[in-house]
Amino acid sequence: MPLKKRNHSERTKKIVGLALGITGFLIPWFMNFPGLSFAGHMALGIFLIAAVFWMFETLPIYSTSMLVIFLQVALLSQQGVVYSDTALPKTPVVSHIDGLWEVPSEALDGNKVYIVEDSRNYTPIEVHVVEWGETVKVQSDDLSADTQIVSDAQHKLVGYTPISFSNFFGTLASPIIILFLGGFILASASVKYNLDKNLTNVLLKPFGEKPVFIVMGLMLVTATLSAFMSNTATTAMMMTVAIPIARQIDMKDKFRIMLTLSIPIAANIGGMATPIGTPPNAIVIANLNQQGINIAFGSWVALMLPLALGLLLLAWVAMRFFYPPTLKRFQLELQSKFEKSSKAIILYAVFAITVLLWFTEASHGIPSAMIAFIPIVTLTVTSVLGKDDIRALPWEVLWLVAGGISLGISMENTGLAMWLVSSISWDMLPQLALLLVFGLVALMLSNFLSNTVTATLLVPLAVSMGTAGIAGEGFSLIITSLVIGSACNMAMLLPISTPPNAIAMSTGYIKTGDMVKIGLVIGLIGITTALILATFYWPLIIQ
Amino acid sequence: MSDIYIICVEDEPQVLDVIIRDLAVFEEIFPIELAHSADEARELIKEIKQEGHKIGLALCDHIMPGDKGIDLMIEMQKDPFTEKTRKVLVTGQAGLEDTIEAVNNAKLNRYIAKPWNPRELVEVVKEELTQYVIQEEKELLRFTSLLDQEKIQEAIRTKGYV
Repeated sequence: MPLKKRNHSERTKKIVGLALGITGFLIPWFMNFPGLSFAGHMALGIFLIAAVFWMFETLPIYSTSMLVIFLQVALLSQQGVVYSDTALPKTPVVSHIDGLWEVPSEALDGNKVYIVEDSRNYTPIEVHVVEWGETVKVQSDDLSADTQIVSDAQHKLVGYTPISFSNFFGTLASPIIILFLGGFILASASVKYNLDKNLTNVLLKPFGEKPVFIVMGLMLVTATLSAFMSNTATTAMMMTVAIPIARQIDMKDKFRIMLTLSIPIAANIGGMATPIGTPPNAIVIANLNQQGINIAFGSWVALMLPLALGLLLLAWVAMRFFYPPTLKRFQLELQSKFEKSSKAIILYAVFAITVLLWFTEASHGIPSAMIAFIPIVTLTVTSVLGKDDIRALPWEVLWLVAGGISLGISMENTGLAMWLVSSISWDMLPQLALLLVFGLVALMLSNFLSNTVTATLLVPLAVSMGTAGIAGEGFSLIITSLVIGSACNMAMLLPISTPPNAIAMSTGYIKTGDMVKIGLVIGLIGITTALILATFYWPLIIQ
Repeated sequence: MSDIYIICVEDEPQVLDVIIRDLAVFEEIFPIELAHSADEARELIKEIKQEGHKIGLALCDHIMPGDKGIDLMIEMQKDPFTEKTRKVLVTGQAGLEDTIEAVNNAKLNRYIAKPWNPRELVEVVKEELTQYVIQEEKELLRFTSLLDQEKIQEAIRTKGYV
C-alpha cells in the first residue's frame, strides 16, 4: 500500500535526521577547530542540530526553534550550566631580565595575551615573543609587575562574554515579533468578519470579463492581501473564489491551469511587499536591528514593492504565454456583503488606521512595532477578538521566528558566523557575484526548506561578513540581507516549496511540471531583477 | 498516518455491488470495506480499530437478518471510536418510528431512500466525508481533490495553516 511505504520512508527520514542532528551537536565537543572560540564550538553544535532538524523536519520546525532557545539558555547564557559561575583563570606575569616578561605558554594565543579586567572581561594585547620554552618570554610595553593575564588562552570565556538568558527568551517579545503579532491580530479579525472576502469581491470588479484580466485581478488582490495576511490563509481564501470559476471551465482549457497557478504565485510574491508579509522578512529585519539598522515599514515597502510588482507582471506574462486561455469571456459573480455590526466597523477603522500609520512611519517616527500594538490593544479591548481568537493565533510561527533570531544572536556573538564565512576569501569576489551566490543559495535551499529556516541560516552569515569587513569593497549589509530575504520568497518551484503551492497542487487542476515551469522563470528572472534593483535602485532608498 | 475507511453494511450482495461501483471514485483515498450484517460490521469495526485506522463514514441498510441497521448505528454512536463517524441510512423500508429513533439516538446524518440516484449518493458521501475530515483531521490537503474543495479551502482559511 502506498500509504505504508510513505510512512516507512518518513520514519527513515526522521531517524536519519535524528542521528545526524545529534552527531552534529556533539562533533564540536570532541573536535577543536582552530580560530573558533569555545563558545563558538557550542554555538556550532546548536547550529548543526538546528539546521539538520529543520532540514529533515525531524521535529516540527517550531519545536526545533524552541530547542534552539533552550540549548542557548542552557549552554551559552550567563545563568546556564556552562557559564553560571566561571571566572577567567588568571596568573601574574613574572618579571625577567632586560624588560622581558615570563608568561605560561598556554596563555599565549598566537602573538596575543589577554590582560584580565574583571572576572569575565579582558583586553587583548600584542606581544613580541622573544624566547619559547616551558614558559614564554615576551616583550610588551603594556605589561607591568601587577598585570594579571588570562592563564589559559583556550578558556571558555575567551572570545565570548556570556549574555543574560533574558536575551534569548526575549527574542519572543522582540519588536519584530510584536509587529508580526499585530499583523496576525488584524488578519485573524479580518477572517472572522469576512473583511478579506468582501474586499476581494470589491477589488475584483474592475477587472472585467476577459480571462487574462480576471487572472491579473486575482493576482493583484492575492498579493495585496498576502502582504498583510498569512500567505497560506490568503491562498485558501482566494481558492474559494477560483474554484467555482475553474469548475465552470472546460477541462481542456488552459485557463484552468493559469487560474490555479496564479494564486499561490501571487501569494508568495505578495509576502515580500511588507515587513509583516511573511516570516523571512522578520528574520532579515531582526538581524539588521541587532546591527543597529532600522528599516521603517514604509521604506521596506519602497524597497520591495517594485520587485513584487515586477515579479507579478513577469508571472502573468509567462502564464499567458504558457497557458493561453481559449475562453473569450467569463462572468464573475461577485457579491460583497460587508458586515455592519459595530465590532466589524471597529475592525475596519483599526485596520485602516494601523496600515496608514505603518506607511507614514517616516513622517511621524513612531516605530512600526509600537503601531502594531494599536490593533492588539483595541481589538481585544473592544472584544472584536475574544479569548478563543487569541488562542487560535499562529503562535508557532512566532516561536519559529524567535528561535531563528535567537540562533542569529549566538552565531554573531560567539564568532561562529564569522568563522564560517572567513574561510573563503570573499573580497576576491565582485559585489554582484557575492549577491548572486547568496541569492542562488537562498533560492535553492528554500525551494526545499521552509523559507523562514533558509533566511535564519543564511542572513547571519551575511551580517557577519559585513561586521567582519571581509566582504570587499562596496558591501552593503542591508542589500545583501534583502537579496537573501527576497530570494527566500521567490522559491516556488515545487509543491513542497511553500504552503500556498501545496494548496494549489491539492486541487488536482495542475501538475508539478506546470509549477516547475513558472517557478523556474520566477526564480531565475527574479534573482536577476533583485540584483538589478540592488545595484541601481535600493542604494537610492537606503540613502 | 492512519487511513479513513468507508464501511457499507447491506445484506443483499447485488445492492452492495452497486454501492461499491458508485463509490469507486473515493477508494483512492478512503478504503471501502463491506459487511453483510450488523455482526459482521462489528467485527469489521473492531479490526479497523485494532489496525489504528479510523472510520469516516458508515452507509447502512436498515432491514437485515439479525440486528437492524438502526441498532448498529445507535451502538456506533455510543462507542467513542465511531461516535464521530458520519452515519447514513440507506433504506427503502424504515418506518417513521425507526427513522425518528435513528435521528434522535444515532445522530443520523443522512437518509438515502432506495433506489437512489448514483450522482446523489456520490454527492452525499462527498459532503459527509468533507464534514468528517474538516472536524477530525489536521492536514486537509490530501483530501482536497476528492472532496468539497471550497469547504476545505474555507476551513484552511479560517485555521490559517495547512
